[in-house]
Amino acid sequence: MRTPIAYFVMLSGILFALGTVGVLTRRSALLIFMSVELQLNAVNLSLVAFSRMHNDLDGQVLAFFSLVVAAAEVVVGLAIIVAMFRRRSSVDVDDARELRW
Amino acid sequence: MVAGEALTATGGMAWLWFVPALPLAAATVNLFLGRRLGKAAGVLASAAMLASFIVAAIGVRELLSLAPEERLVVLHLFDWISVGAFRVGVDLRLDAVSATMILVVTGVGSLIHVYAMGYMQGDPRYGRFFAYLNLFVFFMLMLVLGQNFLLLYLGWEGVGLCSYLLIGFWFDVPGNAEAAKKAFITTRIGDTAMLVGIALIAVHFGTLDFDAVFGAAGGQITQATATAISLLLFAGAIGKSAQIPLHVWLPDAMAGPTPVSALIHAATMVTAGVYLVVRTHVLFELSEVALTVVLVVGLVTMVFAGLCALAQWDIKRVLAYSTVSQLGFMFMAVGMRAYAVAMFFLVAHAFYKALMFLGAGSVIHGMHEEQDLRQMGGLRRVMPITFVVFMIGGLSQAGVPPLAGYFAKDAILEVANHTGRLGIYVLGTIGALISATYIGRMLFLTFFGQARSELAAHAHESPAVMVIPLGVLAAGAALIGFANTSPEGRVGGFLEPVTGAAPGGAGLSVFALGVIATTVSVAALAMTWLVHGSGRVDWMALRERMEPLATALQNGLYLDRAYDRLLIQPGKAFARISAFVVDAKIIDGAANALGGGVRRLADRGRLVQTGFVRSYALVVFLGAVGVLAFVGSRL
Repeated sequence: MRTPIAYFVMLSGILFALGTVGVLTRRSALLIFMSVELQLNAVNLSLVAFSRMHNDLDGQVLAFFSLVVAAAEVVVGLAIIVAMFRRRSSVDVDDARELRW
Repeated sequence: MVAGEALTATGGMAWLWFVPALPLAAATVNLFLGRRLGKAAGVLASAAMLASFIVAAIGVRELLSLAPEERLVVLHLFDWISVGAFRVGVDLRLDAVSATMILVVTGVGSLIHVYAMGYMQGDPRYGRFFAYLNLFVFFMLMLVLGQNFLLLYLGWEGVGLCSYLLIGFWFDVPGNAEAAKKAFITTRIGDTAMLVGIALIAVHFGTLDFDAVFGAAGGQITQATATAISLLLFAGAIGKSAQIPLHVWLPDAMAGPTPVSALIHAATMVTAGVYLVVRTHVLFELSEVALTVVLVVGLVTMVFAGLCALAQWDIKRVLAYSTVSQLGFMFMAVGMRAYAVAMFFLVAHAFYKALMFLGAGSVIHGMHEEQDLRQMGGLRRVMPITFVVFMIGGLSQAGVPPLAGYFAKDAILEVANHTGRLGIYVLGTIGALISATYIGRMLFLTFFGQARSELAAHAHESPAVMVIPLGVLAAGAALIGFANTSPEGRVGGFLEPVTGAAPGGAGLSVFALGVIATTVSVAALAMTWLVHGSGRVDWMALRERMEPLATALQNGLYLDRAYDRLLIQPGKAFARISAFVVDAKIIDGAANALGGGVRRLADRGRLVQTGFVRSYALVVFLGAVGVLAFVGSRL
């Protein structure tokens, strides 16, 4: 008995919404970063779910791509956060607002 | 016109280009090395001129060895412009008219160069002066030797440039630079019209070559076109030859050193206008209107400038107005189709007017740069040689037989009389009367009576280097008239294959005309002697009784002031409005308002950039939602 696709989509939607709220409300760069990861994985989940529903592996292949890109992004992102912390001993994104009018 | 077969000068005349090249070479050397050469600069310049004269004389002799109808040599040096079928070459043309001109330019020019070696002695820019002078001669020779309109125009503008440079040669003296500018700009008005005329020729004929244009002129253009072209060309002549209404620059041009006045503003450049009309007479003859305009302008200028000359105190301004007047005389002759006669007058005038200018220079030199006739008087005792040669020049212009001016002037009056233009004959005779009067006035005020100032009492004769050229010119001014004494005179016979015969007809006999002319000039001289030379008349009081007419004439009937009020001041006002209102306020204002508006908009707009990453994220999020909503609504 297959789990209905709607469950996966709903779970994916909930995860994505959680991630979005995290990005918009958190002030710590690290937490924003984690929230972005959550959004990415929500999308991965729906990709895999739809792939299974259509009996087509394209979605799963795309999910792997997404994973690899996310890993690469983590490397760059964490490096930026570390550099930011070293410069200003804080990772609060609201403090880093020199680049404005 | 000359029969078609032109010598393309492979053999005998190939060296003709030396005539203009020698002064150009000397000018180049003097321009770069003049300061180091010191006094050698003058020697070099004069030697180049003399060599040029000798080459020209040899060329003219070879020309004379040909049959009269075949006297035309065209020397092709190189192609200048070649665009499709339109070609302009640097071609030199030697025929009777240009031969006459180059002999005058190099001959009188050489004498003036020698004279200038003395006159300019000690000037800090001695070498530069001779460089300009030689450059002028080069351009003048290109003007008269050019075989097409473009080459003529090149020379035409070149002499204008040199005239500007030389009038303003002593630019540190107040007013001289203005005089130079005035000369350049005033003639430029005519030059621009002339350029339009040349463009019209190029459009209608497809060529600028003299022979091609004149050969095709009769059939190829309408009368209206011929009138337009002729009048535009004549406008150039009006500017260059200082005819009314563009004559105002010449009296002011006397700011230049006296040799410059003699060479450029008496003997050569100002006669370029006469040369132009003679050269292009084929076009002028297609239009009765154009010839009438030439005649009337010449006539009016002659009388007007003569009257102005009567009232001048500055010896050089007398000569300047006299030159304007005499040029009017030449145009009068040209307007009556008497081209050879006009050329003869041009040659005679070149001699006696250059002589008088140089003589005046000698007087000014002896008087320590004083030019006011009122300060002179009695100079015949202290400057005997200058006195004699100046008298020859003056009497020549006044028309005392058998000096050159008598024959030249009579030839013109004879044409007027014999072609039945009685009114013009009478006006011409009146012009001659005026001319003899102002010449007499100048001569007697300068050389006769008592010295009226310390300077005049202690004036000194000029050095030999200045006096010898004066002697040669005096010989020319006295004797050159004999070249044309017979009815088919030598000058006429030489020129007429090119210019066509002077129109003739019935009228008073030559002898009767001569008696009338002689009576007129002798009477005028006697009258001026009585007033200015005898010491029996208080001529200052006489003049005061003639106020304000005398002052008005002295100021050229205030034409300068009228031009200033009517043209220059409105022009300047218009320029000020353009610069400070139209440009600064409207054009700059529009550009600045545009820039300022964009800037103010950006000042508002950039406040969006708060630097808060999370607000950016929110915008991205809302944007994504918006896009999804839009896409979703259209599914």
